[in-house]
Amino acid sequence: MSHHKLSDHQPEGGFSTPVGSRRTFFQWMTLAAAGVVGMGLAIPLLGSLISPAFTRRRLAWVDVGAIDELPAGRPTQLDHVTTTRDGWMEAKSRKAVWAVKDPQGEVTVFSPICTHLGCGYRWDDAANKFLCPCHGSSFGINGQVLGGPAPRPLDRLPAKVESGRLLVMYKDFKSGLAESIEL
Amino acid sequence: MASRLYDWLDSRLNLKPVQRTLLDEPIPGGASWIYVFGSVTLFLFVLQAATGMFLAIYYAPTPDHAYDSIRFIETEITFGWLVRGLHHWGASAMVVAIGLHMLQTFLYGAYKSPREAMWMVGVVLFLLVMTFAFTGYLLPWDQTAYWATQIGINMVGTIPLVGDFFSRVLRGGEVLGALTLSRFFAIHVLFLPAIIIGGIALHLFVLRRVGPAGPWADDRASLSSETFAPRQVYMDAVVIAAVFLLVAMLAFSIPLPLTDKADPSDTSFVPVPEWYFLFYYELLKYVHGPLEPLATWVLPLCVILIMLFWPFIDRNPIRNPIRRPVALGSGLLFLLVVFGLLGISIKQLYAVPRADPAVARGKAAYAQFGCVGCHRIHGEGGAVGPDLSTIGDTRPDRAWHLKHFRDPQSVTPGSFMPKFPLTDQQLNDLTTYMLSLKRAS
Repeated sequence: MSHHKLSDHQPEGGFSTPVGSRRTFFQWMTLAAAGVVGMGLAIPLLGSLISPAFTRRRLAWVDVGAIDELPAGRPTQLDHVTTTRDGWMEAKSRKAVWAVKDPQGEVTVFSPICTHLGCGYRWDDAANKFLCPCHGSSFGINGQVLGGPAPRPLDRLPAKVESGRLLVMYKDFKSGLAESIEL
Repeated sequence: MASRLYDWLDSRLNLKPVQRTLLDEPIPGGASWIYVFGSVTLFLFVLQAATGMFLAIYYAPTPDHAYDSIRFIETEITFGWLVRGLHHWGASAMVVAIGLHMLQTFLYGAYKSPREAMWMVGVVLFLLVMTFAFTGYLLPWDQTAYWATQIGINMVGTIPLVGDFFSRVLRGGEVLGALTLSRFFAIHVLFLPAIIIGGIALHLFVLRRVGPAGPWADDRASLSSETFAPRQVYMDAVVIAAVFLLVAMLAFSIPLPLTDKADPSDTSFVPVPEWYFLFYYELLKYVHGPLEPLATWVLPLCVILIMLFWPFIDRNPIRNPIRRPVALGSGLLFLLVVFGLLGISIKQLYAVPRADPAVARGKAAYAQFGCVGCHRIHGEGGAVGPDLSTIGDTRPDRAWHLKHFRDPQSVTPGSFMPKFPLTDQQLNDLTTYMLSLKRAS
């Protein structure tokens, strides 16, 4: 306990409460301390709140099979297991892609989802085109629309070949639009 | 601008009397740095509430996601580690602040008439904070959390007649599991905050009705008073800012231990409670057999009751500590026992890891060669190579490790682990470190 007997203490009604510049000093120090704590808390708390809003999903190259096993000129459905992350949850899910190898060995990979309303389409050997069972959209071997309500060609997925293996980056696209927009 | 807004509101809401009530409270004997602990405790409660709310945005209170969501907060969320660090160290700081607050009240005899009710509400608040600590400890759902809580609940089970009933209610059944985690979570974030806010309001209400005790001077009439603002407010604010910076510094500099995910089948895990429960953990080591219930519930119950009713046990009206040797002596004895046990416990905890310097050197080599890029130890590191958390149990053979480090393919054909240029010393240290990685920590 210390009793400060300071010159500018002016007892008012029995109180010895500081006035004048000393009073201003205490008020400013209080404000400064509140500012330090306030900013020190606001930055990490709000930062943590908005953090996931601006994190892009990390996409990875997935090995979907050997390039040699793809028949030239005939679309093939390739299944693979991909790890999808949803916050702290990690799930392994089976995904399929359609791969077409042209006679020169160039590979095109299509998303397996119809661009109309998101059904899964298939390759029809007899008709020589991709057919969607839901609303009858059809696509050529290069993905172009041949008929039906599909608003745009099939969506292409990034693909590359590394030491004989076909690698694909799986993505989802918005359906029903004339332009291909990644989800 | 601010003052015009204030005048506008004041002319309608009549704020001046409120301001006078809040800021012009008389402090007998004047403001002092020794009176800051109550405000610091209140600030730390607000800190815990704020950081807790933001942690709840990401935390998932189920056994299959709790651990992963904490890890997610630590690694994926910007400042997530800091928010969790503030909450963790804030809890410790709160226990310290309450301890100092109670010690000051005890020394100044501020619990004496007419302030008995304020002391008793304060003891209840202290018990609520310890309940916060106990329930919050389980939430990360790691090994330490799981087994420490297991022991805590089993201790409740030793109370005769009602123990079994209480421990079942705490667990939400026979075993510690999903139901336990969700009820601990609900208690920690919904029930306790609601109760403690009422308790804090009551504590402050009593304070404002009887007023602060002030110095222990015998002739109180001779004391001059000072208003709460601005000097006591300034002292409180400065210490609060210092405490905040200290807690933030701890959160920055000491990474939070998150042990392996809780494994109910691993009974070899030896849990260690938080430091503020350590003295009690140590006490239990000395009491066995028929005397055990004495330590698990008779003694704690007695201590709590004595604390609660202390103002009625110590009826001496004198407040000057020098003139009440019995009260001071018993308080001192209590603190000596608590801190003595805490000291012994800490000494023993840190005695074990220092045994073998080779382990520390091995750990350094492990970091130096970037092993963590492929291997995982207790959740830390890549998943390309095998998890090494318990390699000392699964591969206890020293010769195998030495051979493996020299040429991995020689003992594990097809392994793509590279050969590292290790000196003989490093080879031995790394092997010693590998063998030290066992289940029982």
